[in-house]
Amino acid sequence: MRRIEFLGLSRAYGGQPALVDVSLTLAGGEIHALMGENGAGKSTLIRLIAGVTRADSMRVRIDGAEVPLASAADAARAGFRFVHQELHIVPQLSVAENVALGRPLPRRFGLAVDWPRLRAEAAAALARLGAVGIDPALPAGRLTTGERMLVRLAALLVAGDAAPRLYVLDEPTAALTHAESARLFAVLRDLARDGAAILYVSHRLDEVMALCHRVTVLRDGRVALAGPTLEIGRDGIIRAMTGREPRGAARPIERSDAAATAARAPVCRLDKVAAGRLSGLDFTLAPGAILGIAGLENAGQSELLRLFLGEGRIAAGRLEVLGRPRPSGPAEAWARGIALVPRERRAEALMPGRTITDNVVLPHLGRLSRPLGLARARAEARMARDMAAQVRLRFRALGQPVRSLSGGNQQKVVFARALAGAPRLLLLDDPTRGVDVDARADLHELVRGLAARGAGVILTSTDLTELLELGHSILILSAGRQAGLVPAAGLTPETLLGAIYRAGERAA
Amino acid sequence: MRRLRRYGTLIGFAGIVAAFAVLLPDTFLTTRNLLNISQQVSMLAVVAFSMTLVMAMGDFDLSVGSMASLAGVTAAAMFQAGHPVPAGILAALAVGLAGGLLNGVLVAWVGILPFVATLGTLTMFSGAAFVVSDGRTIFGRDIPEPFAAFARGGVEVAGVTLPALTLAALGVFLVVWVLLEHTAFGRRLYAIGGNAEAARLAGVPVARLRIAAFGLTGLGAAAAGLMYASRVASANPTQGAGLMLDAIAAVFLGMTMSEEGEPRVHATLVGVLILAVLANGLTQLRVDSYIREILVGAIILAAVGAAGLGRILGR
Repeated sequence: MRRIEFLGLSRAYGGQPALVDVSLTLAGGEIHALMGENGAGKSTLIRLIAGVTRADSMRVRIDGAEVPLASAADAARAGFRFVHQELHIVPQLSVAENVALGRPLPRRFGLAVDWPRLRAEAAAALARLGAVGIDPALPAGRLTTGERMLVRLAALLVAGDAAPRLYVLDEPTAALTHAESARLFAVLRDLARDGAAILYVSHRLDEVMALCHRVTVLRDGRVALAGPTLEIGRDGIIRAMTGREPRGAARPIERSDAAATAARAPVCRLDKVAAGRLSGLDFTLAPGAILGIAGLENAGQSELLRLFLGEGRIAAGRLEVLGRPRPSGPAEAWARGIALVPRERRAEALMPGRTITDNVVLPHLGRLSRPLGLARARAEARMARDMAAQVRLRFRALGQPVRSLSGGNQQKVVFARALAGAPRLLLLDDPTRGVDVDARADLHELVRGLAARGAGVILTSTDLTELLELGHSILILSAGRQAGLVPAAGLTPETLLGAIYRAGERAA
Repeated sequence: MRRLRRYGTLIGFAGIVAAFAVLLPDTFLTTRNLLNISQQVSMLAVVAFSMTLVMAMGDFDLSVGSMASLAGVTAAAMFQAGHPVPAGILAALAVGLAGGLLNGVLVAWVGILPFVATLGTLTMFSGAAFVVSDGRTIFGRDIPEPFAAFARGGVEVAGVTLPALTLAALGVFLVVWVLLEHTAFGRRLYAIGGNAEAARLAGVPVARLRIAAFGLTGLGAAAAGLMYASRVASANPTQGAGLMLDAIAAVFLGMTMSEEGEPRVHATLVGVLILAVLANGLTQLRVDSYIREILVGAIILAAVGAAGLGRILGR
């Protein structure tokens, strides 16, 4: 049987190690799961073995023979094939052209494209995957996501100058329906039976348990656990992923003034709200309360937060914020004291080339300006300076572009913006992603302080520890549905992750 | 190094002025010639200043040239039909504002890329200018004397007569400068240019501001068209055609002066002056007009290219 060994993979980004001496052995005929929380190093590992990112150290052996792997071309030559999370198909081209993408098309007389042959080849590749229902002449844009996945796989079958030895799939079922997933699993089992090795990256425990022979769990860039899936078991995998010893009886919830706040009007109230993917949202947020939203990746966390900005159409139920119907858009939301820290710092939060001041004061310009919209530069600078001090921003000058700050300090600028108006409802979408430990502690303190002053906070996080550290109660989302609402006290990351997976299974 | 990058364009401008001063010792650096330059360039300046508004958002407007033509013939056609001067001017400005708002709606609400949207309206405005003028140049007795007199007039300050067109351009400069540098409106435009989605999520009404900014750019283009018509005391459906490319070039030249490559209106002013001085000096040197175009194009590319290189090397 064929063996593919990746030995001693290490890679650091700017001194921060992302992978430390990770080894992985894959065998032909086996489906091997790669699991781990966000930031555990899965993506880095894939980038290294795809030859996209240079490893600091790495050796690759196929059946004992050393193989170079310094570029994507090397990876293709070694017979490695990758299906990335975003499906790279060209919707305007036909299925057959997508299958042949990147290769020379078959030609007649060395000139005109031999369309019949191109289609026949594509049909043959699709047939190998059992996808006989897909017409190779159809534009690929008309296919469902699951069919596109099959087209990508078919393209991998015929691509490259070496027979495929290893397929790497990164979260392939994230966008697939249940039936499409089942179809994909059948294909993967077939490919394995034909002797290929398969590395399957997923967050979904039940899939991994059902499909994969072996599992490797990464945590903080190291191998936390590796072995046969059945021996390790579900609980073993969860423990290896979170890796933290249960933290005593968690932190007692500080709600000294609970009686006082209970009397006040709630910050927001949702009554069986359904909107887009979201459904069954039913909760009330009291002033001073912090609600954590937990769930698998992309279970609707961001959509839930965005509801309060007036985005998404509410199909059923009632949503009330600060005693009124929800705002019509972000502009009204900020004006009414609803502040957002978006998920994607670079894409959704910052104007990287603009100054710290400009970034902080943007939503508050209306309040800061004189009549006729004349700006008051001094008031703006004062707000920026005060907020920078409050969030303990490390900076050279308020006039420096935000781009020149470190990641953690950039995030502090986003927080400064959100906190500047003393919001009554603060929406935090994975607020400390990619933020170092110190900055993270600062930001947590700010959130607790704001809540203590009577604001409501709704928080999502890919870091379960963070949810439990900050949240007073935890709402579990499963594919957009509210699957549970539990007090955070007494939960550990382990038990919470278990609850998330159980909610997912019930839904499926 | 950073300084050099930032002030490189300004130094280049000084170099060009110095070169012409040496090559044309008697005629270039004279009050009369400088005032002449300022008057020649005033229309372009008005278009470039108002173009800076949309370019602050990272958009641009290709329709300004044909809008200037359309505004000119609209006013002239009103005069021809016997309407008084203020009515003609107001009609032209209204057409400019409406056309600009149309651009804004196409970009902000319909979601067409600015390049495509304003390319479409460029063609429409151009066609409309021919329809309004019946394809002819409107001149002579059809243009009222007070309207044409405006461009010939001026204000005497300390023994020097500042041309009215120059003063009009300065007025537009001041308005745009206050808008962009000293109002919440301007700050929000730059925020959109910095990251439109982030600005939207931070409560900036992106669509409304886009429409407003395009409207103002249309208004500026119409004003430039009126200035042009007044200066030549006639209006024809193609006379604004050359303004668009020069205006965009001027803004780009100005952007080379900003660390972050942002269009600022005072930098646009420098860009406009560079183009004006080059045109004036090369004409006086009797450089063939086609050669002149090649030189101007090369200088723009050199300035923008040098700034880009500087930014890459500075990393």
